[in-house]
Amino acid sequence: MENPGYIALSRQMVLRRQMDMVANNLANLTTPGFKGESMLFVEHLARTEPREKISFVRDIATIRDLKAGPMTETGSPFDLAIRGEGYFAIETPEGTRYTRAGGFTPDPDGRIVSAQGFALLDDGGAPITIPVDALSVAVARDGTISTDQGELGRVQVVRFDNQQALKRQANSLYDAAGQAALPVEQPDVQQGKLESSNVAGVVEMTRLVATVRSYEAAAKLANNEHERQRRAIDALATARS
Amino acid sequence: MKSLDIAATGMLAQQLNVEVISNNIANMNTTGFKRRRAEFQDLLYQNQLRVGSTSSEAGTIVPAGVQLGLGVQPAAVYRIAEQGSMNITDNPFDLAISGRGYFQVELPSGETGYTRAGAFQLSADGDLVTPDGLVVQPGITIPNNASTVTINASGQVFVTIAGQVAPQQVGQLELATFLNQAGLEPIGDNLLLETPASGTPTVGTPASTGFGSMEQGALEASNVNVVSEITNLITAQRAYEMNSKVIQASDEMMSSVTQLR
Repeated sequence: MENPGYIALSRQMVLRRQMDMVANNLANLTTPGFKGESMLFVEHLARTEPREKISFVRDIATIRDLKAGPMTETGSPFDLAIRGEGYFAIETPEGTRYTRAGGFTPDPDGRIVSAQGFALLDDGGAPITIPVDALSVAVARDGTISTDQGELGRVQVVRFDNQQALKRQANSLYDAAGQAALPVEQPDVQQGKLESSNVAGVVEMTRLVATVRSYEAAAKLANNEHERQRRAIDALATARS
Repeated sequence: MKSLDIAATGMLAQQLNVEVISNNIANMNTTGFKRRRAEFQDLLYQNQLRVGSTSSEAGTIVPAGVQLGLGVQPAAVYRIAEQGSMNITDNPFDLAISGRGYFQVELPSGETGYTRAGAFQLSADGDLVTPDGLVVQPGITIPNNASTVTINASGQVFVTIAGQVAPQQVGQLELATFLNQAGLEPIGDNLLLETPASGTPTVGTPASTGFGSMEQGALEASNVNVVSEITNLITAQRAYEMNSKVIQASDEMMSSVTQLR
């Protein structure tokens, strides 16, 4: 008897989380390397009577949209973007993390670091240090970093068999979560560019509208169900007396 | 509802973005100005359903999990040290640096300030000073009776004194370079200060290895590209609007809840 209310509630719960996700996508509309997310809903069947099942809704996964974001020209020699597959490897105090946000700068010691000061790793897993008196820094398409004093090494670009299983962390970093990082044979690294967020504002706005309207529809359903029950109680109560 | 707070972080970030862009546009004609860029990062993620957690007794695991982000934060506001274009002014005390390096000036506090704006003038004593009267280091004094002043690409300052044939060298300008130019701290008046992030300055003569050369009678214009700033402004404004729509939408959802009985 109370099931419709619970079904509406299950719908509203996932819609609220969907709303949080849309809000996060829109908040990160200009975050370099950000990948938009969408939610995966499944039907959850519950047996009420021997031959009867009712279906609730459940959100079982957030799916990252892995398509590349547009490349933005920045003019800064330490801004790197990966065209196609791959992630940069960053050394953090918690271990190696991976990112597609390539806004790097040299630190006072000449190491190339991310905005939080974590070092970018080369294909040998060591930080890359620019000599103090280097005049220019060039990054080739294959990730080789060189200055006027010669080659310094190659930026590590890795891929994963299952990118969806990477665990998202703050600061645009991903945790491999136990997966092996495989080297990309032919990386395409672009110097002086950044990969913008791949969130499409228009798409998110339509999802926003759809979420709000579905939420209202579920609220309406719950309300109507409440009315129905109230009328049933009224009708039955009058029949008695 | 978290979406309210998330959208608020988005609006704050875009507000910062617009502030940085408007500062760039305001300084499009400032000598030696380097444009800034605001960079953003996503905030923490909340795990509703952890990636890799076991979903059945048979040992199947959750492939993607439910991770909900909590918004955006500013990561850095970078200075982009790209060379600005040269404007010819024909003023003998206007100096532009073509390449790497900063002029050094002595601040009233005794510290050394660094600048790319080479619009210098002479003080009452004949010292080379900035428009604010700060003395350029190492100090150059132009004699009272000098008829012409020539500064060559290597920063050597020559004067011709009335009645003498050969020009005399009265000083040598020097430049300072930093490993991480983006780490210098701007203090206004086109001046920058050394910070732990910038590294220590390397001082040398212009046009030597690793240093830019000096151009007399020219000024380095700002490197702001107005067209790209305007397009960034449009993007930032639209992003701001979209985030405000999220707040409206969250509000509508909450109001539909309050109408439930």
